[in-house]
Amino acid sequence: MPSQNNLRIALLAAYAIALHAFEKLIPTPLPWMRFGLANIITLTALVLYGFRAGMMITVIRVTVGSFLTGTFLGPAFLLSFGAGVVSTSAMALTVRYLPRLFGTVGISIIGALFHNLTQLMIAYLVFIKRIEVVIILSPVLILIGTVTGTLNGLVSSMLIDGIKESAAETDGAVTAE
Amino acid sequence: MLSRSKGLNKRFRPADIFLLVFLLSMSVSGIFFIKEVMPKSTNVIIEVDGKQRYSLPLGTDSVTEVKGPEGPTIVEVKNGKVRVTESECPGKICVKQGWVDRGAIICIPNRIIVRLDAEYSDKELDAVTE
Repeated sequence: MPSQNNLRIALLAAYAIALHAFEKLIPTPLPWMRFGLANIITLTALVLYGFRAGMMITVIRVTVGSFLTGTFLGPAFLLSFGAGVVSTSAMALTVRYLPRLFGTVGISIIGALFHNLTQLMIAYLVFIKRIEVVIILSPVLILIGTVTGTLNGLVSSMLIDGIKESAAETDGAVTAE
Repeated sequence: MLSRSKGLNKRFRPADIFLLVFLLSMSVSGIFFIKEVMPKSTNVIIEVDGKQRYSLPLGTDSVTEVKGPEGPTIVEVKNGKVRVTESECPGKICVKQGWVDRGAIICIPNRIIVRLDAEYSDKELDAVTE
């Protein structure tokens, strides 16, 4: 059973890294704006396989992703590592303690919100140190994050249904998907 | 592991819609609020090679010749706006930028930054009642 779980984590982490790298190719109106597509994978893992799987995928994705872009231990790494860990924890807590209150989309929005808030906080404490910049940026970031969070949540929700259905068909056996 | 009995997961729950609407309205109104409250610029700061050389009042019309490493750059202040009229630089991007009343004009070849200094409105009170 543990090896099956590790296999799943490795596979999902690979998907997350691919999405993470892919979204860097998509041009956005603001250079620092990202869709957070990798969060689709984290959320799916969190709902289906629990906190450990979700957190492992986030940590692997941020670390390996930073190797690919050459930002390991740099400022961008610090921002995405901190925000990734906090937003995964926030989503895990929601899944665990408020499972009936929020659906998949809601959990995704919560993840996006905590991601942005953590990035703003780290950016303020470590880099900018100017509160007006944070105040100006925060509504813009929260707006973008809420929209992308909703879209990611919808995709993740479809993915969860798909995996559940295929697992039901194969009677719970591990498939390549 | 996978609980098949649970069936399909819930995409949207009432709390999700509430959260979505709440965050959207808060952030949109926040953007408008900040735009209103944002400090109006009162000074034009001109920096050459990272060092501040001039601080011109935005309320007074003026024409200033700034010496940069490539040559002179002429900065004009008029009607609360600022522009670069002439500059010794290849691209002339600073000149093409035209009149500006917020943000900055940056001429990288000539190492000149013309920026509008923000001052908070609470520092320029019209009157104080006690």
